[in-house]
Parts: sequence; C-alpha cells; structure tokens
Amino acid sequence: MTLLEISDLKTHFPTQSGIVRAVDTIDLSIRERETFGLIGETGCGKTVLGLTLMRLLHPTTTVEGTIRYRGKNLLTISEAEMRLIRGEEIAMILQNPTTSLNPVMRVGEQIAEAIRLHQGLRRRAAKEKAVEMLDSVRIPAASRRANEYPHEFSGGMKQRAMIAMGLACDPALIIADEPTKGLDVTIKAQITELIKETAKEKAMLLITHDLGVARALCDRIALMYAGELVEYAATEEIFENPLHPYTRGFLGSLPGNGLVPIPGMSPSLIDLPDGCRFHPRCSHAKAVCRKKHPELIEVEAGHFVRCFDA
Amino acid sequence: MHQINKLVYYFAILLIILSINFFLPRVMPGDPLSYLSDPGADMPARMTEEKRELLLEYYGLDKPISEQYISYMVGIIHGDLGWSIYYGAPVLEVILGRLKWTLLLVGTSTAIHVPLGILLGATSAWARGKKKDTGLLISILSISSFPSFFLGILLVIFFGIKLDLFPINGAQTAFATYSSPFGKIFDILHHLVLPATTLVISHIGGTYLLMRNSMLGVLGEDYIMTARAKGLSEQYILHRHALMNALLPIVTMTAMTVGFLIMGTIFVETVFAYPGIGNLLYNAVLYRDYPLLQGIFLFMTIAIVGANFIADTIYVRLDPRVKNE
Amino acid sequence: MIEGRKILGSVGLGILAVFVIVAVLAPYIAPYNPHQMSRPMEHPSSRHLLGTNDIGNDILSEIIYGTRVSLFIAFVVSAISMLVGTSLGLIAGYFDKLGFVIMRVVDIFLTIPRLPLIIVIAASMRPSIWNLIAIFLIFGWTMTARIIRSEVLTLRSRYYIDATKMIGGSDCYILWRHILPNVIPLVVVQFIMEAIHVIFTEAGLSFLGLGDPVARSWGMVLHYAFECPIIYVSDVWMWWMLPPGLCIVLTVLGLTFVGYALEETLDPKLKSPAYGRGL
Ligand SMILES: Nc1ncnc2c1ncn2[C@@H]1O[C@H](COP(=O)(O)OP(=O)(O)OP(=O)(O)O)[C@@H](O)[C@H]1O
Ligand SMILES: [Mg+2]
Repeated sequence: MTLLEISDLKTHFPTQSGIVRAVDTIDLSIRERETFGLIGETGCGKTVLGLTLMRLLHPTTTVEGTIRYRGKNLLTISEAEMRLIRGEEIAMILQNPTTSLNPVMRVGEQIAEAIRLHQGLRRRAAKEKAVEMLDSVRIPAASRRANEYPHEFSGGMKQRAMIAMGLACDPALIIADEPTKGLDVTIKAQITELIKETAKEKAMLLITHDLGVARALCDRIALMYAGELVEYAATEEIFENPLHPYTRGFLGSLPGNGLVPIPGMSPSLIDLPDGCRFHPRCSHAKAVCRKKHPELIEVEAGHFVRCFDA
Repeated sequence: MHQINKLVYYFAILLIILSINFFLPRVMPGDPLSYLSDPGADMPARMTEEKRELLLEYYGLDKPISEQYISYMVGIIHGDLGWSIYYGAPVLEVILGRLKWTLLLVGTSTAIHVPLGILLGATSAWARGKKKDTGLLISILSISSFPSFFLGILLVIFFGIKLDLFPINGAQTAFATYSSPFGKIFDILHHLVLPATTLVISHIGGTYLLMRNSMLGVLGEDYIMTARAKGLSEQYILHRHALMNALLPIVTMTAMTVGFLIMGTIFVETVFAYPGIGNLLYNAVLYRDYPLLQGIFLFMTIAIVGANFIADTIYVRLDPRVKNE
Repeated sequence: MIEGRKILGSVGLGILAVFVIVAVLAPYIAPYNPHQMSRPMEHPSSRHLLGTNDIGNDILSEIIYGTRVSLFIAFVVSAISMLVGTSLGLIAGYFDKLGFVIMRVVDIFLTIPRLPLIIVIAASMRPSIWNLIAIFLIFGWTMTARIIRSEVLTLRSRYYIDATKMIGGSDCYILWRHILPNVIPLVVVQFIMEAIHVIFTEAGLSFLGLGDPVARSWGMVLHYAFECPIIYVSDVWMWWMLPPGLCIVLTVLGLTFVGYALEETLDPKLKSPAYGRGL
C-alpha cells in the first residue's frame, strides 16, 4: 500500500542572485511501514525535500507538482488541515538537535505541547505521556530529565529527545533528517538501533550521509544529486549492483572501500550544467551526456537509473 | 564565578566614576575652583564669605592631593556630596528633595514605553516585509529623529497652549488647595501627561528596534521550525516559543533604556520645568553650581550603572543556559 | 522591500545633500551676517524672512550658518572617531593580548553613561566648537572599536587569512589587504550612527546652554529662543523655534534613512526571509 506519493515535485527559491532549484522534478513513493533512505552530498536538496513535504517553507517559495498522502494532495489542502497533519500524521525530526530544541523550554514540555494539541490531553496527562516517550527512547531517569532544559542534555540525548518528540503523537510517517550526524560510534549504534525499532511499525523517510546506517535500516534507497534523484532501488540491489557513476562514486567513498571521494564539487543549484547534471564530474561522460538530460528509466523491476550508460 | 567577576567589574567602574568626579574640577584649566580660591572672580551665585570658607574646606585644596582624595572618598561613603552654592544646602539634600518627581516620571514612562516597544517590535517582526512592518518601521524611525526637547516644545505648544488641555510646567499647580486627595492625585497626573508622553515617544525607538531585531533572529532559528513541524498554530508559536527567546536580550536592554530615560529627564524636565533631578541639573549648569553639578553627575551615573548591574543579575536568572554554568 | 530600501536611501541622501550644500555655501546664501544686529524681535517680513531674535540677529542667517556648525562638528567627530575606532578595532582583533586590554578599556567606557559626563566636562570648559569636538571624541571611538574587533575575529577564522600568513605575509599587509576592505561597509554604517549621535548630543548640550555662543549651532539657536521669556506668548516660536528644530529632525532623518538602507543591504541575516534560514 502506498502511503505517500510524490510526483513531479519542484521546489524553487527565488533569490536575488537567481532561482535556486533545490528540488527539481522528483517522483517517488513510500509504502506503509517502509523505511526509505535518501542519500546525497551536502546541499543537494534533501532537507528542502523534507520541508516541502511538511509544507514548512517560506510562502515566497514556489512549489509545483503533487504530494499525495492517503489520497489527499498536501499541496492544495488548507493551512488548517495541514497543521493537523504535521506532527500527528507526518512528523519531521529536523537535523541538528542542538539548535532544533527551544533552549528556554523544558524538554518534557516541548514534547507534551504536541500531545496536548493533537490528542487533547490535559496538561498533567500530557506531561506523563511525555515522560513515557522519553523513557521509551531510553533516556535514564526520564521523569527528572523531562524537567531539564536542552543544554543539560548530551548530544545523543538531545537526538533521543528529538526522536521522542517525533514519535509523541504516533504519526504514520516520520521524516528523519540526518539523525546520526555528529554522534560518536557507540551512540550512533544506539540511535540506529532505536530508529530500527521505531521503523518497524512506521513508514520512514531517512535522510542521511551515512551509507552504513542506510544499509542497516532501509528497505529501499534513493540517491539524490543536484535536486533530482539519479538512482533508486532496493537496498541490497543498490549495494550489489550500483549503476549510476554517482552511486558508485558514493559507495567508493565508504571507509571500507578505500575512501576515494568523487572528484569535483556539486554544481550551483542556480546555474545547473546542461545535459546530465553529473557529467562534469563523471569519468564516463560521453558527448550525449553533455547535451541531453537523461530520464529516470526502470532498468530492472524496481531499479531506476538516470544515466545513458545503464 | 561569573557573578563575582561582575561584582568586581562594577565595583571598579564605581571607583573610576568617583575618581573622575574627584579629578575633574582639579585638572580643568581655571574652572571651576578658581572662583572659589579667587575672591575677586566673577561669581555666578552670590556667596557669603562664610559659604566660601565652607566650600574651600570641603575641597581641602590646601592639603596634598592624596589626602584630598582619601577625605573625598570617606565623605562619599558618609553621603557627603558637598555644598550647593546656588541652593545653599548640602548637595545630597537638594538632590533627594527632587528625587520623587524624577522617579515618578521615569517610572511612568518605563511602564508605558517598554511594553509598548516590545509589542510594536514583535508585531513588526512577525509581519516582516509586509506593509504593516514597513509602515511601523518608518514611522518609528521618523519620530525617533526628534530630539526630546524639541518634541517637548512641540507638545507644549500644541497640547498646552493651542488646545490648552494640559498644564505646561511644574509637577502640580502652585499654591493649590485640594478638596480631596483625589484632587491632588489628578492634578499631579495632569501635570505628568506631557512630560511622560515626551519621554515615551522619544525613547520608544530603541526598544522597538531591539525587539524587532531580536525577534527576526529568533524567527529564523531551527527550533521555531521544529515547533511548526509539530503542527502548533502560529499564535501559539509566537507566544510560547518566539517571545520568550526574543525577550531575553530585551531584559538587559531595558536597564539601558532606564539609563537613557534618566538622561532624557535632563531635557524633558527642563522643557516642562518639572521639579526633578534633570531640571536641577539644568539649573546647576545655568548657575555653574559645580558641586551640585558633580553631585548630580555622580547620582545619575550610579543610578544608571546600578540599573545595568540589576539587569545583568536578572538576565542570569531568566536564561536557563547561564544559570547552570 | 528592496524597492522601499532604495527609495528611503535616496530620500535620505537627497536631504543630506541639501544641508551639505547650504553649509558649504552659507556665506553666499545667507542674507545677513549672523552677528549683524538690527531691530530685535521683528516678525517675518521681506527684509527678514524668519524675523530677528532678541538681540536683532537675522534668524534665517543664524540657521544657515548654524548648519555649518552642526554638520562640521558631526563630521569631524565621526571621521576621527572612525579612524581611531577602526584602527584600534583592527589591532584588537588581530593581536590577542593587546586586544584584551583594549576591550577592557572599551567595556569601561561603554558602561559609564556618556551624557552626564559630557555635560559635566562641557560645563567646566570654556564652550567652543573645538572643546565640544574634543569632548565627543572621548567616547566616539568605543563602539566602533568593539564592532570592528568582533568582525575581524570572524574574518580571521576564514582560511585565506591563515593561508596568507603561511606564505609569509606580514601582519600589516594582511590587515591592510584582506581585513580592512572587508570591514569598510561596517565602518560606513558606524560613521552614520556616530553622526546621528553627535548631532543629537550637540543639539542637547547647546539647548542646555553649553554650546559655542559665538559660532551658534541649531541647538544654540533653540537655547536662546527657549530662554526668551515671551517665546510662547505670541507666535514667535513659529519662526524662531520651528525652523532650527526641523533642521535637526531632517538631518537626523536623512542620516537614519541612509543608514537603514545600508544596513539592510549589508546584513545577510536581515536580508533573508524570516524563516527558512539555517536549513
Ligand atoms: N530558503 C532558501 N533560500 C534559498 N536557497 C535555499 C533555501 N533553503 C535552502 N536553500 C538551498 O537549497 C540547497 C539545498 O539545501 P538542503 O538544505 O536541502 O541541502 P541538504 O541536502 O539537506 O544538505 P545537508 O546534507 O548539508 O543538510 C542548498 O544549496 C541551499 O543553499
Ligand atoms: Mg540537510
């Protein structure tokens, strides 16, 4: 069963120096209870995609296409309807927990306020539920911790609190933006484990740089480059049979594979190269790659690639 | 640790201010002590031989400077600020006699202009870039371009003289007899309207701009995005998340604002002949009553620095991040 | 908003240009020498467009020459303050130990309330333009030094400055070539802030009677008007108080608009939309 279906999605920011095409024609669908990984270099538009799904971008942003969630087009419903979906149906765990928690509000209260809003619980009951949530993400002495401020939490604990906040109203879909970034190895393993448990019952869009985490958690993985998807398939298929040079490069930069970074830099989203967006950095680039923009084609059942070579 | 450092710092500031006050009359070329030691000098205020002796003794100019300094400091500790030439009374007594009016004026203005500035600043930031924001910003920048004394004069002319709605000088009607205490209160408030309005209008810009900037900064923070992602309403986010964070820097600012208001009374009380300390300062300048002038300088400076110290202390209590360090 | 900023900036520049022209050409524009005496307290007429004051000076000429005084003080003080403040800020930002000392001094200067001290000093000196300038300079440099220093600290952490250092660029060269150009916009904004401050404070001091009684600024004209016992009795205030007061207001307004336009252009935080930052 498809939970979320994105088609032809474009998110453009008009700025003084030109239009930033942060998300440029994305099609993908997420099934119920599926964990879908979104991978890509920094600045390729992953966070913007997440925020677009939540409709959290500034009103001056142009968003086109459709986002169908359980039959509703999220881009056309009213703001009031959208607010009921945020947090309750789709929750987003923003990247960087240190700046994403309100520094002058107790952590418990930050979780409880969403519960009060969406589940109509009284203050006391919501507070108890918040403690429960903190406990469920394995924060020790949760009832005491709930009364503390974010700066009293360690990095890992802040991330747990963010996850608890996302889970608080039992949403059907969670968008988790780089939940393991900046954590040391043991903490990362714990958080990964925690996400794995959560992901069993929920659909999740997991945005990450970390291929190891993606492999451990995701059912399917998509690679994003300069605002568009360049390849997606089931996790094992991506790792066993990567077809796009960008995917291969990305896998090659894994510590286990010799840490060879992809040469060059991602293009400016204002001034994208003609033809294939990856061609300036691609060692297999041919004449056609410079001229024509490749389409995303299904090379095998469920394996999509945007490359003339595949 | 932080607290102790602050205390030491403010103590040092106090010492520096006291020293400036001590050395200023002694290093200034000729003035202001020359007319004390030179009996033939053109004296701004009539002075009896006896008063002159008193002053000379107070300054102790015949003694070595270190001794003068020590006795000056000891005097200050005992609340001895010298002898006012014009009023012929101890400076401290003259100042304290005027204090209540300045407190009334500054208190009233603060109570109005701080909440108003915060409200307008928050409104403006929330409507960032819209007509409401631009309109507010330009209006407030414009009224802030009026020097307070000029603004006061305009209010005197229009509301005091042309429309004859409010009294234009003093803090209460001279030689009035009141039939009830309410009559007296009304009279005092009636006199307060124009000076307080002048202070509010000419100082609102600072609070407004600070709140607007602070709020704009907060609205761009990630935790505001988190709050939106939870589905909270804009109103709720404004009140529960943005306002508290934006207000933190305002607390410190408010003390500075009170400082500016105290300085502002110099002009406003002069324009309205309001019998507070600011007006006293004007008289001290006019009659070149240096001991009084210096006493007021010391008094105002300590009040302003004190307000800053209190603000620092309150800030530490409000911000959970600082409290736990 | 972008348009609005440009309009405000141009209006501000226009106002300032008019005043600067008046100040420079004062002797050619003013109908009389401001010290020349004729009949006192005359109402406006074709001979004296704004009437005469209590000692018979032509008020319009007084105001025209006052423009010179007010703008001159503001300009000289702001220019020297920027020079000193920027130099000290650069030094303080670049050399850590010296910077620490300079910043403690700045802290103290910024804690001591300016206006009361300025009044006390001004009252114990013979009032003259140069004394006023000297007094304003005591405090003028402090805020700029602090702002420039923190900007230098930010700039320093950028890699290219370290890179230059590695290939043997001297400290002076780095300060001059890499850091100075980057802080110039800030200095311009600070210059305007300081000019506004000086115009206000000078007008205030003069209003209290502490300005130069010979080279009379706008504030000093207002002082004499305010001291005149019959100022509110008739309509005298209309030509004696309103014009110099409005001159102060317009100048400050012009500076404010230019400063605001510049700041909006320079500050990237204010430029970006209220939310959607920090993604
Ligand atoms: N409000 C905005 N206005 C203009 N450009 C924006 C805005 N928000 C994001 N961008 C641009 O969109 C591009 C994509 O940003 P995004 O934050 O989605 O990257 P990302 O893939 O999440 O990177 P990272 O891995 O570093 O989080 C970036 O180049 C960014 O500069
Ligand atoms: Mg991101």
